[in-house]
Amino acid sequence: MTYDEFREEVRKLKEEGKYPSLKSYTLPALWIAEKNFPCIDHEVMRIISSELGVPLVEVEEAARFYAMFHTERKGKYVIRVCTNLSCMLNGSYSLLEELERLLGVKVGETTKDGLFTLEEYECMGLCDGAPAITVNEERFLKVKKEELPTILKKFGWKGD
Amino acid sequence: MEKLLLRNVEKENSHTIEVYLKGGGYRAFQKALKEMSPEDVVEEVKLSGLRGRGGAGFPTGLKWEFAAADIKEPKFFVCNADEGEPCTFKDRVIIEKDPHALIEGMLIGAYATGCRYGYIYLRGEYPIGRKILERAISEAYQKGFLGENILGSDFSFDLYVHSGAGAYICGEETALIESMEGKRGEPRIKPPFPVNAGYLWKPTVVNNVETLANIPLIIERGGKWYSQIGSPDCPGPKLFPVSGKVKRPGVYELPMGTKLEEIIFEHAGGIVKDRKLKAVFPGGASSSVLTSEEISVPMDFPSLAKAGTMLGSGAIMVLDETDCIVNAALRLIKFFRHESCGKCTPCREGTDWLVRILERIEGGRGVEEDLEVVLSVCETMENSFCGLGMAAHNPVGSTVRKFKEEYLAHIKGGKCPFRSS
Repeated sequence: MTYDEFREEVRKLKEEGKYPSLKSYTLPALWIAEKNFPCIDHEVMRIISSELGVPLVEVEEAARFYAMFHTERKGKYVIRVCTNLSCMLNGSYSLLEELERLLGVKVGETTKDGLFTLEEYECMGLCDGAPAITVNEERFLKVKKEELPTILKKFGWKGD
Repeated sequence: MEKLLLRNVEKENSHTIEVYLKGGGYRAFQKALKEMSPEDVVEEVKLSGLRGRGGAGFPTGLKWEFAAADIKEPKFFVCNADEGEPCTFKDRVIIEKDPHALIEGMLIGAYATGCRYGYIYLRGEYPIGRKILERAISEAYQKGFLGENILGSDFSFDLYVHSGAGAYICGEETALIESMEGKRGEPRIKPPFPVNAGYLWKPTVVNNVETLANIPLIIERGGKWYSQIGSPDCPGPKLFPVSGKVKRPGVYELPMGTKLEEIIFEHAGGIVKDRKLKAVFPGGASSSVLTSEEISVPMDFPSLAKAGTMLGSGAIMVLDETDCIVNAALRLIKFFRHESCGKCTPCREGTDWLVRILERIEGGRGVEEDLEVVLSVCETMENSFCGLGMAAHNPVGSTVRKFKEEYLAHIKGGKCPFRSS
């Protein structure tokens, strides 16, 4: 998405009339940016600030506060590995280590080809399927270490 | 027991309005709208004895009464679907499998309290739920249950989904409201309470998903009928998400007051590989631990408070004899360190110091005096600004008190006894 297209999207958002206060469109606007840009950069924040009449610093505060917003460049697919209690008890740390090995990155990093970002994540409410991981919006439950290459290949991983 | 909250979830396409209507859906709302005054609805909910299912257990009818009495306009009705308490996944089941029960509950609540606009604050980690809810809302508009002059009455109500973006603290109602206003999710001081000064400082009712799913049942069958289910001082059906080391993890609907032991061993199938149960966190990550001798406790707000812990979200997390209690407490306090908003010192610093000390103990570098320091940090955290910090230390302090021997084994042995290397 270009910055002009993004500005247009924010304008459309305002026209929906969903909130009585312009400032409430901050999170929805940040969501559009999160989904359409590699990261929420300063230009994106400036557009939101000017369209919504919210001080730039407050847009940046919100962008940096929430765990799902990326203010640093992320990969095309964000892999989230839950390591909270039920997933941990069911082996999530070994999944995380295996993913680090397969992708050749550390937790928090993005693969060189820009395809995957690997994140250790807090509880995603998938505890009946522990250990659980998500790739963008897709869920994988009761994941076994051996299944990880197949999951990655689904998203274009070239390794083996 | 007859399934009440989960009555629809097994049906094919249970998330569609056709299936919901066929099962008697929106009948309760029509009854409220056409046969009852808003005051009648509030009275019926008060009579039911329903207490909020989000964690705090506040009487729902009373909350509605306060909101209805406020004359400021417009009023907002918000569903708290920011289900973030670790190992809690009960609201997800309703959101994905029975979204219309939630919408109907909101409609009845908005009618009773005079709210014109509604928002479902859904956690960002539930993108599938978001699509399902948005579809359900548009179906409800098409059938005339949402919008202006609903079913030819004077009552108008518009409903939207508001997506969170990954912040546990936004489950706290005032932080949720700040987040709806486009800000960082930091809690506000109370009072004023949201029922008088919430979203945009207007009267705002905030109710949990499961709480709202109870409302159509109460209106259809009556508050008196409802009050006779489960514990007399805390009635109704309750959803218990069970996970960790049980054979059949899942969401179980049982009457309030069902014994913890029965839930784990009869419904969730007992412990994996028939190992021994070691410990249970009975109400999410913020609850104090219970040992295997303490699991005959009835699962309701007053009984668990008496047992020195809490019902919270009702999330039951089970550990077996092969799990390290120090490591479990460490993982939970790491969660709270990550989720602390940083606004107040006891929570921001307390969670950080507890992580550092527990990492040391788990790594075999702890000293005995650490345990006293841990308990004193826990005590200081009681003075936190909001409920997050006040409860965050519970898994740590309670495990130090109840599993002191295991902490000492780490300290004296110079390593975690549960690790092979």
